[in-house]
Amino acid sequence: MVNVQLYGVARLQAGVSSFTSEAKTLKELRGMLPNITKKEAEDLVVLVNGSGVKKSYKFKDGDTVVFLSPAGGG
Amino acid sequence: MATEYGGYMGKVLRINLTTREVDEYPFSDRERELFIGGKTMAAKILSDHFKGTEQPFSDENMMVITTGPMTGSGAPSSSRFNISTLSPLTGYVTSSNCGGNFGYYLKKAGLDALIVQGHCEKPTWLEINSGKVIFHEADDFWGMKTGATQEALDEKMKLPNGRVRKNGKICIGPAGENQVLYASVVSNERVAGRGGVGAVMGWMRLKAICASGNKEISVKEKEKMVAHTQKWFKYLRKHPLTGEQLPKLGTAGLVSSMQMKGLLSTKNYSEGHFDDFELISGERLAEQYNIVNKGCLTCPIRCSRTVEVEGKAVKGPELETLVLLGSGICNNNLEAVLRWNYELDELGMDTISCANTISYAMEANEKGLWDNGLHFSEIDDLSAVMEKIAHKEGIGAELALGSKRLSEKYGGTEFAIHAKGMELAAYEPRKAVGLGLGYAVSNRGGCHLNGGYAVILEGLGLSVNPTTYHGKADMTMLMQNLMEMISASGQCLFTSYAFFPAPLMSHPNSWYTKLVNAVLPYCGGAVRILNKFPEIAAIHLPVFHHTKGFEYVTGMKMPFGRYMRCGERGYNLERELNRRFGVDATKDALPKRLTDVVQDPKDPNSKVPLEKLKQVYYHARGWDDNGLPTKKLLQKLNIEAK
Ligand code: SF4
Repeated sequence: MVNVQLYGVARLQAGVSSFTSEAKTLKELRGMLPNITKKEAEDLVVLVNGSGVKKSYKFKDGDTVVFLSPAGGG
Repeated sequence: MATEYGGYMGKVLRINLTTREVDEYPFSDRERELFIGGKTMAAKILSDHFKGTEQPFSDENMMVITTGPMTGSGAPSSSRFNISTLSPLTGYVTSSNCGGNFGYYLKKAGLDALIVQGHCEKPTWLEINSGKVIFHEADDFWGMKTGATQEALDEKMKLPNGRVRKNGKICIGPAGENQVLYASVVSNERVAGRGGVGAVMGWMRLKAICASGNKEISVKEKEKMVAHTQKWFKYLRKHPLTGEQLPKLGTAGLVSSMQMKGLLSTKNYSEGHFDDFELISGERLAEQYNIVNKGCLTCPIRCSRTVEVEGKAVKGPELETLVLLGSGICNNNLEAVLRWNYELDELGMDTISCANTISYAMEANEKGLWDNGLHFSEIDDLSAVMEKIAHKEGIGAELALGSKRLSEKYGGTEFAIHAKGMELAAYEPRKAVGLGLGYAVSNRGGCHLNGGYAVILEGLGLSVNPTTYHGKADMTMLMQNLMEMISASGQCLFTSYAFFPAPLMSHPNSWYTKLVNAVLPYCGGAVRILNKFPEIAAIHLPVFHHTKGFEYVTGMKMPFGRYMRCGERGYNLERELNRRFGVDATKDALPKRLTDVVQDPKDPNSKVPLEKLKQVYYHARGWDDNGLPTKKLLQKLNIEAK
């Protein structure tokens, strides 16, 4: 089980800030974000336990996965 | 002086408050070609007068309020005006930029700029109607907060039929009247916040200026501009930053990204992460407090938020306020930040400098250097403290001086977070060292935007290695010049974010974005060639609509290269001006906390290698080892040295 958190515009689109998932891989999880298509999910920044990971990353139990939409100026 | 160019009203007015003399200040078309408008036009006017011996609170100082040729032209985000003066906070020339509608109405009144000198015997407000200046007593307004002042001014602007004459205004609050060194100037809900421009206005006993009129703002090639503007609006609306993040979350939307990247200034910049960041995030602001999005005139981005404070709809906080009065002082109470943001605007006080001065004081207290009663995360009395600052009462009289002066008195210079006396913005630069360089060299002191905003490449937007010094100096120079010119032309700096092609921002995981992130630090040489010889880019870039728009409005030829050269001229002109007041390499400094102490004990590079960065930067700029533009460079840029 992994903890999934969403930030930025992606969170407004998803309508949820966090959920838990049984997904085994990042690829699989990308298709499970509420109200966000798999294609859109591919354009979100992903951090697992605070660090960037490869596309093919396989989750470990208890991982925290952050999806973040691109940000920029302030 | 009359002009052949579109976008300009062809008139600069000089007002002497002491003698009440008003005359036209000569500003020629040749000067318009070189110094454009906005902060650069203001720097030119100040440069013609300042020798370097002037004092901020004296009749020798002057406040130059400028618009740019794009102000009010209908181009996206083109409502900006600028106030430049000798800053009481830094002792150098500052420029403070503002949206709202004052710039537009100043032009409708027939003016490109106002030069205000001297001081009034009694509190005064100025009415500028179609180029005519009327002095009014402001005894009734003195002491009023900025909201009440603007309402009272609207009463005065009522026509016989009971309707308020359309106008734009600027005013100060109690902080400006009492010359708090970081007092702001407020215009509607927008604020010219930085550098203490409100304190100078307060010293002049000038409570407000109200501009109105119905002069036409000419556009040289109207039809072409209309078509171009449509395309430009569309482009901005489609871009992930100007069409998604800023409209949907405002600048506050950056809090979460900053947390993830170690950029969220926390506990007076001692850390880059805040455990409770979610509670002060832009997402929470949007989900629970935002009532409506607002924007300045003709802005498709509409980054401003409206929130409810004690039953009243008021402007929501920008990122800087949210962070510096949130994680900066270890506060997770968002409602308190919303209230302080409103109160600080009402008092007419810069939220950034005020917040950082308070966090310095909290740390000085914690370290036993100054027993002042302020503690991190204890926030119950902060509204009262802010009120005291604005009125310079009790501890407020000390806090009104800013963190630099306090650290010189009580100690702790290593954690007084300022550059050249002005407090830094919300980004912790040890995890974005290019931004650290920008803060240090910025002409007006610790400013992320005047510093070139390299953080947009270093973790927000793009993901270039944030702690390498490679390539950062040249990219900082490029961004500084670009933003200098956007500002001079009268447009909002946020339009500059669209300079980065949308696919790079919206596809952060694509091979091409990863490639750009990896190679950009090693492109310093290529960037330097563009910086040194911008004229080679004698074209209009498809992603950068500003240059064509500028040509259509003014009729001046402005390919990208020339645009950049104008920005370079502006940056160097302010530097030369500040040289007269003592700026040199030693003043391009950051507190030791940021240069000598790593943010992350596991990452030895997580501090700003400032001296190394400065050396490359000075070289890139063509400055000498002391960080000053050479005579040859000034000559090349048509800048007169004194
Ligand atoms: S982007 Fe924001 S600050 Fe800039 S002009 Fe638009 S609303 Fe005003």
